[in-house]
Amino acid sequence: MDAVGVLNQVFVGLSRTVILFIVSSGMSLILGVLRIPNVAHGSLYMIGAFIAYTLSKLFGGGDLGFWIALVGAPLGVAVISLAAERGIFQYLYEREHLMLILLTFAFSLVFGDLVKIVWGGEYKSVPVPYVFQGFVPLFGGLPFPLYNLFLLCCGPVIAVLLWLLVNKTKIGKIARAAAVDREMVGAVGINVSWVFAIVFVIGCFLAGLGGVLVAPTVSVTLGMDHTLIIEAFLIVIIGGLGNIWGALLGALIFGLTQSLGIMIWPQFGIIFPYLAVVVVLLFRPTGLLKSTW
Amino acid sequence: MLEVKSLMKSFDGFKAVDNADLDVRKGEIVAVIGPNGAGKTTLFNLITGILKPDSGRVLFKGEDITGLPPHKICRKRISRSFQVVNVFNRLTVFENTQISILSRERHTWNLVTPSSKLAVDETNELLRRVGLYEKRNRVSGALSHGDRKVLEIAMALAGNPEFLILDEPTAGMSPEETTRCIDLIQGLRERYGLTILFCEHDMEIVFRVANRIMVMVRGATIIQGTCQEVRCNAGVQDAYLGGSDVCLM
Amino acid sequence: MVSKKGKIWWIAVLLVLCLVPLILPRFYVYLLSVILLFGLFAMSNNLPLGFGGIYQLHHAVFYGVGAYGTALVITKSDLSPWLAFLIGPLIAAALGLIMGLICIRLSKLYFGMLQISLGSLVWAFVYRWYSFTGGDDGIHGITVPDIISSYQGAYYFALIITGLSLYVLYRVLKSPYGIALQGIRDNPVRSAMIGVNVRRHQLLALIIAAFFAGTAGTLFVVVDNTVFPDMIFWTLSLEAVIMCLLGGWLTFLGPMLGAAMIVVIRTFVSTYTVYWALVLGIIFMLVIFFLPNGVLGWVEDLYKRRKNVADMKE
Repeated sequence: MDAVGVLNQVFVGLSRTVILFIVSSGMSLILGVLRIPNVAHGSLYMIGAFIAYTLSKLFGGGDLGFWIALVGAPLGVAVISLAAERGIFQYLYEREHLMLILLTFAFSLVFGDLVKIVWGGEYKSVPVPYVFQGFVPLFGGLPFPLYNLFLLCCGPVIAVLLWLLVNKTKIGKIARAAAVDREMVGAVGINVSWVFAIVFVIGCFLAGLGGVLVAPTVSVTLGMDHTLIIEAFLIVIIGGLGNIWGALLGALIFGLTQSLGIMIWPQFGIIFPYLAVVVVLLFRPTGLLKSTW
Repeated sequence: MLEVKSLMKSFDGFKAVDNADLDVRKGEIVAVIGPNGAGKTTLFNLITGILKPDSGRVLFKGEDITGLPPHKICRKRISRSFQVVNVFNRLTVFENTQISILSRERHTWNLVTPSSKLAVDETNELLRRVGLYEKRNRVSGALSHGDRKVLEIAMALAGNPEFLILDEPTAGMSPEETTRCIDLIQGLRERYGLTILFCEHDMEIVFRVANRIMVMVRGATIIQGTCQEVRCNAGVQDAYLGGSDVCLM
Repeated sequence: MVSKKGKIWWIAVLLVLCLVPLILPRFYVYLLSVILLFGLFAMSNNLPLGFGGIYQLHHAVFYGVGAYGTALVITKSDLSPWLAFLIGPLIAAALGLIMGLICIRLSKLYFGMLQISLGSLVWAFVYRWYSFTGGDDGIHGITVPDIISSYQGAYYFALIITGLSLYVLYRVLKSPYGIALQGIRDNPVRSAMIGVNVRRHQLLALIIAAFFAGTAGTLFVVVDNTVFPDMIFWTLSLEAVIMCLLGGWLTFLGPMLGAAMIVVIRTFVSTYTVYWALVLGIIFMLVIFFLPNGVLGWVEDLYKRRKNVADMKE
């Protein structure tokens, strides 16, 4: 394959990276501010994809369905996460770290089976919206899927929006302060519990958004959560906890090493991202970019 | 015995210890005093290897021990107690003391012998000396604050040290506990020839117990001298009283 | 160490366990074998976790690698299977040493995260190396020596090995090393200050834990005659942590109890509903909420409280 072909392949693969970034940034926020590795993040991503399927079907399975799902699914996931957080999580913030990690694991088990109960075990599919079907000639005239191009455009937009949210809004500043010193923030009179709730919900919203966006490109199945959660987790670690740009950088490294790896060595290609993670962690154990801890 | 020369340590630009000097002669009791945040605990952390200094040297009996890790400092027979009580909360008083003794004897690599058979007499003896023998089977997390501070000192003693560093040993103690503690410290020097370095906020104790005093303000050593010298030093008065012509006390 | 009364209890329990294959049907014997080996797996996890204060979050790596090691030696070489049973855990211990050396420089959650990363690397490798490890399919029909190939034989083998391993773990925890390790858990700074080389002691805990996890993996090969990549997957690791928590991570036998509870619950819940993960998840949540020290921990707390009241009355 020539250089242009490689470039094409790489960029097509990058669209998956966008999904990884979106989901990871949500996880990074939660890990950075609440200091909980949210093991249920993958399940919420999966729920987002399934809700997208339902909404899409409900509205005729066409373009309208997709756009409604794009808004509705993440909102649905956000509501679920709010219920979980207010109902159960918030009572355990004072407990040991390990307990919270295990609690999110328990949630992932519960969510996994809830999906099975509500949607059953078969593959579902969400059709690509008509406006994004087809290809556009890009690199050297090679066909580039329109939907992937859409994803590639979404990435930077969402990155910028998140950056604005975290750095330029009041809630973002409070969240960052709470990440560093939650006691101090509480002492100043701010309800830290609600700050945590908001950050958690936003993080889960992003997981759901990732689920919606990925839905047209893969079969929506059970088990989506398991593979994604490890990848998101590793991306967050190498990027720096709580750092949005870190999540982007981590996702890029992960996605690129995976695409290139599979091209170079098809059988063991998937170990390249894991290798990259180990290398990064050996030299920068706290992540490539500054973490909030 | 212990010499600290021009020790420096910064955290993200904040100079916690800024040119600290200290010297302690064998058999002495030296106190480090200074306002809150003066860097006393940081200084102790630097000496005992919990922190690495940016520059400067620490010499013990002529040997350079700057930057050595804490477990190696302990092997030089320097022991330490902490300002915030640092004991093994889930272990009993007996186990706390016993493990300090076993560590001294390098028995901590023994995976075979039941520890209930080792160093029992020495542990009990030490506990009797500090007055904790009756409570030896209590979980140390359940003791009163004063008792836990005494346990800390017992653990520091278990290492058979030549040099003892005590970080605010009477902090948070009731008057009776304080008197007990002071008697214990003075007794240690008399009976075992220990050299002691400590820091305190209670001036009465300092002037009663210490041979010499070192004053730290904002991370730097202002003066080290006898009680009299320190009382009448202008810099000290500035730091504590905001300037005055009257000698302290 | 163990009181006279305790020793009698232990002998009674062992006697009962020995008689099990003669009384219960095959399925229950198999179940008990699985409980024993998962119990060993969980207890080996608890050495660094509950007694060392280390965030050992991906212990399944050592379990799976031990199992694969044994399986591969049996199926790919001419060495005696008995030797294979020893090589498996040794490979796991070696991996424990290597991963430990890499991860031990970090503490707390960072340690756990790096361990998960390395473990995922190992998993990806095993998963993809179809020609050698059987990849996604794993290896099936692994032959073991005749004497332990029947379900009763496998059970007795598991019982003996688990019993011996537990005894060794018990001795280690009661030794000066064990006390020092618990000291490191409670206060690493204090430990260093009394002369304990914290990193080295933790590293030894990791190696021992890995060895016994590998042993548990080997037992699985004997009991089930298969290995598969899921044995190295992170979900199994978190399950092991939950077993420790469920039973009581500050107690010696807690993880064994936790393993028994989870195996039993999963087996019996799945006969009623296919949604056993849901039930398991809810049970975990309840335990985390109400019994943070685990079942055995709660029992011990009760016992201690009654003892304290009795002491105070004297």
